[in-house]
Amino acid sequence: MAVQSDASDVISAAGPYDRAKALSAFKLGDVVFYWITRLSAISVLLILGGIIVSLIAGAWPAMKEYGFAFLWTQRWAPSADPPVLGALGPIYGTLVTSFIAMLIAIPVGIGIGIFLTELCPQWLRRPIGIAIELLAGIPSIIYGMWGFFVLGPFLAYTFQPFMIHLFDGVPVLGAIFAGPPSYLSMFNASLILAIMVLPFITAISVDVFKTVPPVLKEAAYGIGCTTWEVVRSVVIPYTRVGIIGGIMLGLGRALGETMAVTFIIGNSFRISSSIFAPGTTISAAIASEFAESDGLHQSGLILLGLLLFVLTFFVLTAARLMLLRLERKAGK
Amino acid sequence: MNDLSVSVSASAHSTPLPEAPAKVTARNLNFYYGEHHALKNINISLGTNRVTAFIGPSGCGKSTLLRIFNRMYDLYPGQRATGQLMLDQTNILDPRLDLNLLRARVGMVFQKPTPFPMTIYENIAFGIRLYEKIPKSEMDGRVEKALRGGALWNEVKDKLNASGLSLSGGQQQRLCIARTVAVRPEVILFDEPCSALDPISTAKVEELIHELSEDYTIAIVTHNMQQAARVSDKTAFMYLGELIEFDDTSKIFTSPGDRRTQDYITGRFG
Repeated sequence: MAVQSDASDVISAAGPYDRAKALSAFKLGDVVFYWITRLSAISVLLILGGIIVSLIAGAWPAMKEYGFAFLWTQRWAPSADPPVLGALGPIYGTLVTSFIAMLIAIPVGIGIGIFLTELCPQWLRRPIGIAIELLAGIPSIIYGMWGFFVLGPFLAYTFQPFMIHLFDGVPVLGAIFAGPPSYLSMFNASLILAIMVLPFITAISVDVFKTVPPVLKEAAYGIGCTTWEVVRSVVIPYTRVGIIGGIMLGLGRALGETMAVTFIIGNSFRISSSIFAPGTTISAAIASEFAESDGLHQSGLILLGLLLFVLTFFVLTAARLMLLRLERKAGK
Repeated sequence: MNDLSVSVSASAHSTPLPEAPAKVTARNLNFYYGEHHALKNINISLGTNRVTAFIGPSGCGKSTLLRIFNRMYDLYPGQRATGQLMLDQTNILDPRLDLNLLRARVGMVFQKPTPFPMTIYENIAFGIRLYEKIPKSEMDGRVEKALRGGALWNEVKDKLNASGLSLSGGQQQRLCIARTVAVRPEVILFDEPCSALDPISTAKVEELIHELSEDYTIAIVTHNMQQAARVSDKTAFMYLGELIEFDDTSKIFTSPGDRRTQDYITGRFG
């Protein structure tokens, strides 16, 4: 505002014809504006750099103490003297829950995307689209409570006994679906994660499916393809890179999700072959222990956080690169 | 149906019957985009193994008409056609008609080249595989034959595994024609097939259309009147959703029967 009134003062003082002076006042505004926006942008880099530096600084004692063995030690005994800390349990839990979540969410999310863009009657499109958006807006803790009070009992009393019985004695599968049934399990956490990443995968699928030129689909219909053949042979290959980008964004969310998982995963550092057993993830371990930690224990937790940061960073970078490639392709 | 006599007399100045037997026949064909009445009482016959060109200013309904011939409009809600449209003895407008089979019989080439996101070989083989399960050796032969049919074989025979998208625009369009031919249709619809191509590619495609007319019934929509004059046996002039005049191409371009046709081909509007 100040710059504007300055400018009008200049105009009235120098008469309407002295444009150079009037413009130079605007130039000052331009410079100020330029620096404000520039500093805002730089501050993002500073914050990011600061977080990385403080993570490394906080994790340094644990890095020095445990070295790379931290990555493949399973035992987590912070109250032993000296504390024995290994990240294998949380890393395993993070990867397994995210993997199962993606296994469920990818086909369902892409399926919803195909339905919404190719098959859905017009009147149903909006309600389903809004429902998906709302699913993304539900706070994480609500998912946790729902998983604990509703999904947990159902899994423990109905689904898990059935699966355990079904695969009893079958090699490999028998070990994956082993008892005893439990409210708190990696499987329960995976299901909740699947529901939580579903909106991401769906939203991106819908967006990239819309980028398929209608005439390309018409060409496929034009040689007699059914909708399924058009989707499988034209729509999905055309949008492959974008879909992978969406999956990566979902995966990034699944890897880092904390609150809901902490509620229902059981926070056990022991690695079990059964997905019905309790486990933990990196973020769940930090959330449940950080408040009562100190010294080397706290440093170990910060190191866990650094690991998660690196993992998520790579996943998101890969997603970004793939989306860039898609945009370049679409722009051509 | 009760105004059949009216429209017959209205088109009295066109040739009463084409010399070739009719492949596609429209009687009192009307088309609606929602409430908009886009085609009004179209009566026309496409002669077997003849090239029929559709000309007229933008928005006159010529592309719309083409998209009825293979029921492409069915993909979009709110669009509907009434009247009668026969492909030999099949009623194209029959709601119970198998659309996939119809589109195998009536192929379409679009304004922009539309290669599928796969290899050149697969672009052709994909369409064939929809209808026939044939061994690889036979498929190779069919792909080669189709690419020769599209006048593209000599240019791509050494890179059949390259992406269809790596070809030039003109090559892509001929790939699309080859793909259409590979399915062995009876009718091929061309919707402004050269509007995105350079003059040399255009000449190749026009030559190709001429060759294809020995085996296929062809309908082509074009904005280029010289093109219509060059490639077609018969020309239909459409204006504001109506078929104004339909006659031998030579007659349309030398002594059109309707004032509006004359104004259009002499460039007074459109």
